[in-house]
Amino acid sequence: MRRSAMLFLITLGGCLLGRAEEGVPMQTSGGLSERWTERLYRAEDVWAYRPLQSPAIPAPVAADHPVDAFILARQAAAGVKPAPRADRRTLIRRVTYSLTGLPPSEEAVRAFVNDPDGDQRAFERVVDRLLESPHYGEQMARHWLDVVRYADSSGFANDFERPNAWRYRDYVVRAFNRDKPYDVFVREQIAGDELHPGDVESLIATGFLRMGPWEQTAMSVPKITRQWFLDDVTDSVGQVFLGHALQCARCHDHKFDPVPTRDYYAIQAVFATTQFAEPKTAWLPDENREGFDESEHLEARIKRYQKILSDIHAKQVSAAKQWYATRGLPYTPRKDALRKGIPEEEIVPARHGLAPRDLGMERIGRKTIARHQWERDRYQPYAFAVYSGHTRKIGVVSGRLKVPQDRTDGSLEETAILTGGDPFSPGEPVRPAVLSAVSGVPVTPIPSTVAGRRAAFAEWLTQDEHPLTTRVMVNRLWSWHFGQGLAGNPNNLGATGKKPTHPALLDWLARAFVREGWSVKALTRLLLTSQAYQRSTQHPQPSIVADRGPHGTLYAVFPPRRLTAEELRDSMLFHSGELNPSLGGIPVRPDINREAALQPRMIMGTYAPAYQPNPERHRRHRRSLYALKLRGLRDPFMEVFNQPGPDKSCEIRETSLGTPQVFSLFNGEEIHDRALGLAHRLIEEGGDDEVVLERLISRLFHRVIEPEERRDLLKHWEVMEARHETLTFAPRVIPIEVSRQAKEEVTGETFTFIEELESLRAYESDRQPHEADARTRALADICLVLFNSNAFAYVY
Amino acid sequence: MFTNMHSRRRHLYGLGASLGSVAFSSLLAEEPASKPLAAKSGHAKARAKSCIFLMMEGGPSHIDTFDPKPKLIDLHLQRFTRKDEKLSGMASGTRYYVRSPFDFHQVGQSGADMSTEWRHLAKVADELCFYRGCQVESVNHPTAMYHVNTGNRFGGDPAIGAWANYGLGSANADLPGFIVLPELAYPQGGASNWSNGYLPADFQGTALRPEGSPILDLQPPPGISRDHQRANLDLLGKLNRRHLARHPDHQDLRARMSSYELAFRMQMEVPGILDVEGEDDRTKALYGIGQAETDAFGRKCLLARRLVEQGVRFVQAYHGTWDSHDAIGKAHGTLVRNVDQPIAALIQDLKQRGLLEETLIVWCGEFGRSPDNGVRSGTAYGRDHNPNAMTMWFAGGGVRSGHTIGATDAIGERAVDVVHHIRDVHVTLLHLLGLDDNRLTYYHAGRYKQLSQFGGRRIPQLLA
Repeated sequence: MRRSAMLFLITLGGCLLGRAEEGVPMQTSGGLSERWTERLYRAEDVWAYRPLQSPAIPAPVAADHPVDAFILARQAAAGVKPAPRADRRTLIRRVTYSLTGLPPSEEAVRAFVNDPDGDQRAFERVVDRLLESPHYGEQMARHWLDVVRYADSSGFANDFERPNAWRYRDYVVRAFNRDKPYDVFVREQIAGDELHPGDVESLIATGFLRMGPWEQTAMSVPKITRQWFLDDVTDSVGQVFLGHALQCARCHDHKFDPVPTRDYYAIQAVFATTQFAEPKTAWLPDENREGFDESEHLEARIKRYQKILSDIHAKQVSAAKQWYATRGLPYTPRKDALRKGIPEEEIVPARHGLAPRDLGMERIGRKTIARHQWERDRYQPYAFAVYSGHTRKIGVVSGRLKVPQDRTDGSLEETAILTGGDPFSPGEPVRPAVLSAVSGVPVTPIPSTVAGRRAAFAEWLTQDEHPLTTRVMVNRLWSWHFGQGLAGNPNNLGATGKKPTHPALLDWLARAFVREGWSVKALTRLLLTSQAYQRSTQHPQPSIVADRGPHGTLYAVFPPRRLTAEELRDSMLFHSGELNPSLGGIPVRPDINREAALQPRMIMGTYAPAYQPNPERHRRHRRSLYALKLRGLRDPFMEVFNQPGPDKSCEIRETSLGTPQVFSLFNGEEIHDRALGLAHRLIEEGGDDEVVLERLISRLFHRVIEPEERRDLLKHWEVMEARHETLTFAPRVIPIEVSRQAKEEVTGETFTFIEELESLRAYESDRQPHEADARTRALADICLVLFNSNAFAYVY
Repeated sequence: MFTNMHSRRRHLYGLGASLGSVAFSSLLAEEPASKPLAAKSGHAKARAKSCIFLMMEGGPSHIDTFDPKPKLIDLHLQRFTRKDEKLSGMASGTRYYVRSPFDFHQVGQSGADMSTEWRHLAKVADELCFYRGCQVESVNHPTAMYHVNTGNRFGGDPAIGAWANYGLGSANADLPGFIVLPELAYPQGGASNWSNGYLPADFQGTALRPEGSPILDLQPPPGISRDHQRANLDLLGKLNRRHLARHPDHQDLRARMSSYELAFRMQMEVPGILDVEGEDDRTKALYGIGQAETDAFGRKCLLARRLVEQGVRFVQAYHGTWDSHDAIGKAHGTLVRNVDQPIAALIQDLKQRGLLEETLIVWCGEFGRSPDNGVRSGTAYGRDHNPNAMTMWFAGGGVRSGHTIGATDAIGERAVDVVHHIRDVHVTLLHLLGLDDNRLTYYHAGRYKQLSQFGGRRIPQLLA
């Protein structure tokens, strides 16, 4: 009787909360209501909080590789046989893109194809070689920066450049290249400044905490913008390291996960003493300091706007003098006159003598100079970082922030549960703590001192037994190479995320990861040397596989994928021989669609400066990872090919198809430039038409040209050459200024001004059609077609 | 119904994607949502099939347009000081009240309040439903714009136009379902204002640029003729067909091949659809095309009509900036003249074509303006930002035209009657398009998300 009554109550509560009627309780720090605290969860919804298991490798299956043992066991259970191994040409393309984001060189393909060793041994050697390539770190950084939302600007109204954010980007590249143990990588990004005071590398790492969009203008309410940061960093740490979007618990206890709102604010309290600063450091020996001479263009620009301002000022003074003179009054600048209390009618009116254009230019000049002055920091070793201290009253942020002499200046933030997430409605105070539902890890107390909160939190996060930190990263690595996670939402291992398809494998990998000293390279090697990674994309019985393991979750075939936006561009540069493979450094500005580059865009009180590509070819032809990433101006090519926007964490890229991609890849000037570059290179290398085409196909597709293909390409070349004989191309005109039309804010009147694009005076064009003969241009048509072909766009 | 699309499903998107999708729909038949742009029916009967959203970026002053405050005449230039940690630097400090430089009258049979600057709009006043009760949260342009456009102050979420297309699909296979007509200069916050956010890229707003190529790279570089492209496309087709034979199970290949053919057709057809020059002179004159002050917005309004006629689901036309901190008489005077005739023409034109009743028109900014101004460099007759009061109006399908709903206080500082958060306006807009905000959800980052963020209420007073 009593028992049934209790069951009834549980059932009733379950219905009201939309939760499991039966299930397991979870120990947490407690919700806002008892009912929430005591609610039950379906066991499969809280799998990720459970301690790491130590699953045995399934024995009955004949497998040489532990990953395959797990994978084959599930396939066997589903009654599916795996696809055969992919051929060597396919594999080397797959693994080279996987690990470096670039195609394999001809030599690398030849070496692998001709390697007399067995398939597995030979492939392992390729993996080992690629893991040592400096481009490996770049490709892994590309994945990581998607997750942390890297950008070189702050977004919102001003979209100010973050002139030193690039040092964090390069820190990530170095970390992967040096195989920095992942636990260290995590600790440095969360608390590098606290754990290793004075260590520049660790300080740069804390830039992670500031990756979200943020600004504080004259129209901001400081308490609200401070809360933006706190909410952003709490949620970001949750998604990136814990695989949980913690923001769901900002206003109420989590609806589906055992995350009480108390935990949300307790974790937030860890960051309540985290303050922004860009302290000056030494340069690190590995930092690329090439290209700083571009500052001459910035200085020229600042000087020009200073001249505009002084001219306007002179005009205003002269008009004011005349105004006073005609009234027989002594000249007094308006500001002084107001201060002296001279009657209004005896003071020159505000803005007297200035046309709307002058007013507009005055504003534009002032704002432009201010932002460019901040951009000078690009060439100085400041770190986009944080320190621990009290919260000071900071007004408008439009320049570098210093670490104060006294870090206890200001007030110590007291974190409280905010009613409805509103910083003006603090409720119950909370102390810094960790995510309480995590089990199997000793609870680390977080001090309430000013410094040391993040350090303690990071220690908790990186314990060997941490079920979330380990599973999250192992799952990410799997998803980066297999195209989907073992758990399908790498940022969400909670109740609403997709459940792991191979939970035992995930745990086995997590253990292996820790056992190997949190080595990302070791784990990657383990994943890539499995048979599962080396399967063909073709299966003899595709419909059975699709039937029994939808979405490829049996790993019986390898899923093809389209190249990412960056891989497409980098590959074209690679093939045309134009790619500058150097690592790191200040952001570069490749050519982007010129109309987009010159598209006026509003920032507070003026226009953002136009996008000027680097004048030097070798700087424009750097890898896409290093392209200046502005939140307010995305490269349209990158955007249409699904590069995610940097405002939200991207757990895995979407792949879409459609006509905007066609317009970009088939019509875009930059693509035509790459095609001509490749054609020129092929012709320069010599040989008759057939030899040229053999080389082209061999490089792009890593295979021998087929007879039909040879015939078609030769024919096309001939036809297009004849066509090109009749065509003439004019040299491309690179605009060195752009006319802007604007409405003046005060008067609403329209005015125009010229923005000079000073660096483009020295622009070194890529090879252009008018410089090439008909034969080369016709070959460029073939190259363009190949760049657009499905064989080029997909990796098998 | 509209939930949980597989995150890695390949999408066909952008212009005309559904034409392509017809050809290989059988390949994707296992997932019904795989024709994201195909027209579908909403959750309830739609009052309007499409929406034209007139976005007055910068924050038009309700006090100087549609919400007269005679009390400010008495208070004019009276000074006061305001200090509050909830206020930005802009709103605090020494301030003074400012009267409106404009005269007001009541127009139409409904007696709607309007400044006398609106000479043309006054003639269609009875088609409008004014709403004075809306409040937003942010006083900063980009965050307020994101809030009105996407329901989220921080950007990165899908815009209303993206939601509408997600819910209803496109009625024209050859055009994007969500078209944005921005000013020459993109607004603060940029293209995130018409983003697809976490919805598939299919639903992204396509900005038609007022100068240069309306769609980036719509045409090949100079010197490349259509024949020339056709020859290259034929070679591409040959190579791709051979590649397909080698990879018969790879489903994306056909789709990618069709998108090239579709793009080639669109290159030809789109410029004609976008060209308003083909309209007769009387129509062009009606919209004020050819007159300096109205030409730019007149073209946008006429194009908006052409686009909804073609079945485009959601058109958003920008005008600005209405951010008149100083000299509001001059600044707002010009701005009103820019849009007055074009908007009135749009309403008349839609009506005479029988399209008004199936088109929803929305006019608003990202916030209203304050009855007072701050002392900066002396006294200036302008206004600051005001999230607590604004005027928006609606016209067309399903709205309660000829009425003014809600009210602000005596000086226009705060909405006091029929007060609703912007999220309720969003819910109401979706409702008019036949969509239920609580059912129009998409699974992302751990939960089913919706335009209103956490749900909202319809505003029944706005509905016919």
